[in-house]
Amino acid sequence: MKLYFKSLGMHLKAELEYRVNFILSFLSQILIFFTSYFVIIALFTKFDNIKGFTMYEVLLCFSIIQFGFAFNEVFARGIDRFDKLIIKGDFDRLLLRPKSIILQVLCSDSDFVKTARIIQAIIVLIIAIMNLSIHWNIMKVITLILMLISACVIFFGIFLVAASYCFYTVQGLEVRNVFTDGGKHMAQYPIGVFSKGFVVFFTFIIPYAFVNYYPLLYLLGKLDSPIYGLSPLLVIIYLIPCIIIFYMGMKRYSSVGS
Amino acid sequence: MKAYITYFKLKFISGLQYRSAAWAGIATQFFFGFVYIMVYIAFYKSGGKDIPLTLSQVITYLWLNQAFLALINQFTRDQELFNMVREGTISYELARPKNLYFMWYFKVLGQKLANVTLRFFPLVLITSLLPKPYGLGGPASLSCFILFLICLTIGSLLVTALTVFYPIITMFTLSEKGIVNLMISLADIMSGLVVPIPFFPLFLQKISKVLPFQYISDLPFRIYVGSMPTTIIINSMIIQFTWLIILIFLGNFLMKKSLKRVVVQGG
Repeated sequence: MKLYFKSLGMHLKAELEYRVNFILSFLSQILIFFTSYFVIIALFTKFDNIKGFTMYEVLLCFSIIQFGFAFNEVFARGIDRFDKLIIKGDFDRLLLRPKSIILQVLCSDSDFVKTARIIQAIIVLIIAIMNLSIHWNIMKVITLILMLISACVIFFGIFLVAASYCFYTVQGLEVRNVFTDGGKHMAQYPIGVFSKGFVVFFTFIIPYAFVNYYPLLYLLGKLDSPIYGLSPLLVIIYLIPCIIIFYMGMKRYSSVGS
Repeated sequence: MKAYITYFKLKFISGLQYRSAAWAGIATQFFFGFVYIMVYIAFYKSGGKDIPLTLSQVITYLWLNQAFLALINQFTRDQELFNMVREGTISYELARPKNLYFMWYFKVLGQKLANVTLRFFPLVLITSLLPKPYGLGGPASLSCFILFLICLTIGSLLVTALTVFYPIITMFTLSEKGIVNLMISLADIMSGLVVPIPFFPLFLQKISKVLPFQYISDLPFRIYVGSMPTTIIINSMIIQFTWLIILIFLGNFLMKKSLKRVVVQGG
């Protein structure tokens, strides 16, 4: 863990060397992120609700999933860009070192400009919560924290699975965007607004619904049983097969040479 | 002229080689299109006031967005041009006895048309076969369709002018991050790729009328679905054409200006 923080610090220092560039990229990230919730705000000027959800409820849902995604973009960049490691043959070096492979992959890259997104997601989250009248109690606070954690975990899991695909194909797969970017895009809205097939797929195959739909309903008082509030815990279990898949893929790995 | 057309052909033909990338792109776009459409359907079912387009108009608009995305978007930049500026290979280009601006212009146009040719047919075919609320609808009328074709042609010339514009700015700033990225994400919103312009808050609709971006794809698509009266169409198309002339002129001018003080980095 110490190793990870040390390498994070180094990546940060390296990025800050180009200060003007960093600031400008940071600003443009803010604007890019703005485009993603601009959709929601613009549509709510014309419509009152979406299947019973108000604007701030949707924004709450949105900010949680965006937080998880951005968190992974900053802190798990190495996994997101895993195909680069394989193509260049740098992965061989990692195999030689006596440390956990996943940890080393995490250390290999990070992208601090994307903290712009994390900060903005948190701001949107706070604004949404302030404008909603949620009856807070300890259970609901726990639910909110679990939602944030599980949002980070689910994207980490998906990135891992997508990365293990590189062991077979060498090239990164563009279709994986459907599950990462596409999934993120969809999970911005409460999943209940979509048609049945989608809901089933994104509940049981990729459990986005447990990140920000069932717990959201509990948080908003639309469902009473606190079990729904604990449902993000299921996502953490989901991580186990993802890690197994990654290690299974690694057994098949043959170097591309360098 | 012949040289420029050769550039165009070269890029067009080599662009057509990337077929498997195109298929992956189509799958992704199809998914994104579906997600958008389901969101709109859910919104329309929930009701609202002053809704500018009907549901089937919106869905057609969204599918057109996806079908022509490779042509009309500005976020996939021509990396080759940026690299020329950054790595200094632009000096090879300068050795050629032709207008650099138009060489770039026709290259970009060829690339864009190749990308859209690969993606557009499958997407239009599949989406027009989809069942009722989900499918791509036909044009509002024959005259709308003809106007749409003219307008989209000018629109694609316009977007090419903009795409060439960004590397030219980079000749002054040397890094495409920062200002160019800011411009591109602004263009993204203002061209109606994120939300159709009629759904914008009023003041933003007014701003977008002054900027060139909405004339790329929003205007032709709205003509296609028949949500605009004829007088406004004619006026808008005049503005569209004016923007095309301005941007080509400006791009050419800026390029000449920057070439006077060109410093080739590295060798």
